[in-house]
Amino acid sequence: MKGKLEPLERQKLVKEGKNLKDGLITLEEDLLKLSDELQQEAQCIPNMTHPDVPIGEEDCSTMRKMVGSPHEFSFPVKDHLQLGKELDLFEFDAAAEVSGSKFYYLKNEAVMLEMALVNWTLSEVMKRGFTPLTTPELVRSSVVEKCGFQPRGENTQVYTVEGSDQCLIGTAEIPVGGIHMDSILAESMLPLKYVAFSHCFRTEAGAAGTATRGLYRVHQFSKVEMFILCQPEESESYHEELIKIEEDLFSSLGLHYKTIDMASGDLGAPAYRKFDVEAWMPGLGRYGEISSASNCTDYQSRRLGIRYRPSESSTNPKKGKGKLAPTKFVHTLNATACAIPRMIICLLENYQQKDGSVVIPVPLRPFIGGLERIAPKFPQDE
Amino acid sequence: MGLQCFFGGTTIQTLRMAVIPASSSSRFIFGKPLSKTLTLNSLSRRCSSINYLKKPPFTLLIKAFSSTAEQTAPSTESVENRSVVKPQWKAAIDFKWIRDNKDAVALNIKNRNSNANLELVLELYEKMLAVQKEVERLRGERNVVANKMKGKLEPLERQKLVKEGKNLKDGLITLEEDLLKLSDELQQEAQCIPNMTHPDVPIGEEDCSTMRKMVGSPHEFSFPVKDHLQLGKELDLFEFDAAAEVSGSKFYYLKNEAVMLEMALVNWTLSEVMKRGFTPLTTPELVRSSVVEKCGFQPRGENTQVYTVEGSDQCLIGTAEIPVGGIHMDSILAESMLPLKYVAFSHCFRTEAGAAGTATRGLYRVHQFSKVEMFILCQPEESESYHEELIKIEEDLFSSLGLHYKTIDMASGDLGAPAYRKFDVEAWMPGLGRYGEISSASNCTDYQSRRLGIRYRPSESSTNPKKGKGKLAPTKFVHTLNATACAIPRMIICLLENYQQKDGSVVIPVPLRPFIGGLERIAPKFPQDE
Repeated sequence: MKGKLEPLERQKLVKEGKNLKDGLITLEEDLLKLSDELQQEAQCIPNMTHPDVPIGEEDCSTMRKMVGSPHEFSFPVKDHLQLGKELDLFEFDAAAEVSGSKFYYLKNEAVMLEMALVNWTLSEVMKRGFTPLTTPELVRSSVVEKCGFQPRGENTQVYTVEGSDQCLIGTAEIPVGGIHMDSILAESMLPLKYVAFSHCFRTEAGAAGTATRGLYRVHQFSKVEMFILCQPEESESYHEELIKIEEDLFSSLGLHYKTIDMASGDLGAPAYRKFDVEAWMPGLGRYGEISSASNCTDYQSRRLGIRYRPSESSTNPKKGKGKLAPTKFVHTLNATACAIPRMIICLLENYQQKDGSVVIPVPLRPFIGGLERIAPKFPQDE
Repeated sequence: MGLQCFFGGTTIQTLRMAVIPASSSSRFIFGKPLSKTLTLNSLSRRCSSINYLKKPPFTLLIKAFSSTAEQTAPSTESVENRSVVKPQWKAAIDFKWIRDNKDAVALNIKNRNSNANLELVLELYEKMLAVQKEVERLRGERNVVANKMKGKLEPLERQKLVKEGKNLKDGLITLEEDLLKLSDELQQEAQCIPNMTHPDVPIGEEDCSTMRKMVGSPHEFSFPVKDHLQLGKELDLFEFDAAAEVSGSKFYYLKNEAVMLEMALVNWTLSEVMKRGFTPLTTPELVRSSVVEKCGFQPRGENTQVYTVEGSDQCLIGTAEIPVGGIHMDSILAESMLPLKYVAFSHCFRTEAGAAGTATRGLYRVHQFSKVEMFILCQPEESESYHEELIKIEEDLFSSLGLHYKTIDMASGDLGAPAYRKFDVEAWMPGLGRYGEISSASNCTDYQSRRLGIRYRPSESSTNPKKGKGKLAPTKFVHTLNATACAIPRMIICLLENYQQKDGSVVIPVPLRPFIGGLERIAPKFPQDE
């Protein structure tokens, strides 16, 4: 239509152009709808699975390692709730009034123990080259989703703030995953290793029963979390590094535990492979999960938009787009270094003494002012 | 009370509510009248008693909840054309004392710039007394009728008495309803009345506050002083930009030595305050909104500082004062238990609605921070001396850290509703070029305890607990006090800005070094341009 045309011919072309334009608008709307629907459905597809992961339900999980054995007690074993009551360490009833069930106050030596655990854990993990962080505990719900959680699903674990798109984090994995969102990192920056301390909030929707007594399942707790961003070919070895760090920490504290390779039916959607550690809790009379280490490969990074540029071209940044190597998605991993309430259960129940006191494991003592034991406050009935 | 019970705090309820999109319409679905919000908004005329909020704020978008609610027509019951909503809890307010001291109360309300309506309170109280008297009279008459009907009667006489009894009963029902409405409205109005004021408190606005003490003087620097943001950038201590993406403005990550500094400050502060006989605590950071209100804050006021959880009656705490105040709610303590002294570590969350400007750059005004808080419950005659004890502890802590600061006796117009007297400490922040508030110590006398229901039984009778009710001394309300031992972000600002060195490093104050692995200074990570 740019050239010279007879009026009739022009008119014909204008009409043809309009038809095409209308057709395009409709198609582009369709494309948008399809694209949105495709996203919605495809986001449900879980990560692929490591070939060595046992296939099946929770009972198919296999044990990778066991350290130690259940301590034999020469006296009746108390659970952490009873120990807490006798040693004046917790307050659950007042918390139920003030906040609701599954909330608690820590008191006296329990506060010192939490501080010691956090400080010792941060210190140990920092020694291994991790950068310490504290994080926001309110994050945009989109970030929660990009990490593979569902703030608005039924039975959601996530608390949402009224009148905003913000949620409370259930784990520092979320705000740490978000640090580098929508970024392109230089290959030389990888691996990035963070150790983050935060409070965590979980609705624990639907959880009920004896396994949720006391500190075992609570709405709010402190946690030290490890997070790694790395090149794809290195994620498996960093997964091994993370589980090794966890095992070293738990062995240092003298815990008896087993490391489990979680079965395919028990992985979260983001995890390519997941190792859980379950520690022996004599008061409960069974093993209880104290940590989880996941290799999420590129599941989170594809959602968070975290890429890196391989180094062939990083020496020639100004040579134009054509010369740069295409970016790739990083792999992300996360692992619990210390979940305070479950650790407190382990320490109280395993280190209880006949006289009702609890011994503090040696590595923690420099972080708790040298305290060697938590002594009973009230006279014991023998 | 029925509404309160609805949100029994079970997680199943919460999970269903989570499915509903975040909007005020969720309030409809669970039967909470929006009018409740409307009426409570009108109560926002109470002074906000949160430490850091000083200027009259404008509404933040997050509080869309409040503004959306205003657009919908309320369905309230009204008493004489006023909107009344049934309060979820009752404060044990001493109406008789207010009436007997109304001039002092009126003057106090004026001095505090409170919008409490004392005339209305007194009017409602008199009305309520009158209705109560009438109710009692009618009950008396009804008893007389009932007694008459026990004997032998002619059928006609009996019929007459039955009719009279019924009239009395109907009259009583109406009066009792009126009594309830009056009582609710009286509560609503009376809860707005701020605490009385210590006679030594300067009367007037913020500029009338007086300085009690000054320690040290501004350090003279031999080089250009940097603010904490610049120091943080050069020393790789903070991350604000990523936090703005992940969470929003006024959020941050601490990194590297800043994390260690936070841990050291918390541990050192807890340790120092424990030495002075305080029991250490960590607390829930989600609490029922009624507890927030009982402490004197307003979760649902306009410009509220309080984050609320969607689909529940829970709020995030802005200070550990709230969950600690709640520990002994609705209790009677033995006198021998007092004083109870707690030092609590928690994270705190504040909307900072309306706060804007340079005074909010960096760490100065943030939505989330760590804080170590002191809280005391004591006998009334001892609260003034404990107030002095608390400010002394704060001053000792800040002096130990080598800070230059001044302690201010806050003027009547700048006290929060709960505070009888309030001392703020402002420390010199060379990077900001001015003093910034780092702590606040309030004596709330019985304001909070009357709302939280915290009483104690004086000891004359505690040796005779089983001699029957008549022998027990009547309970009294405790006095409560709270004071900031350490607010981490402002402390970090102080330490970075005051201890910066010419080479760009920051020296760690000696008392903190044992709590930070012996580290003596935070050194620059990147080469400095001279």
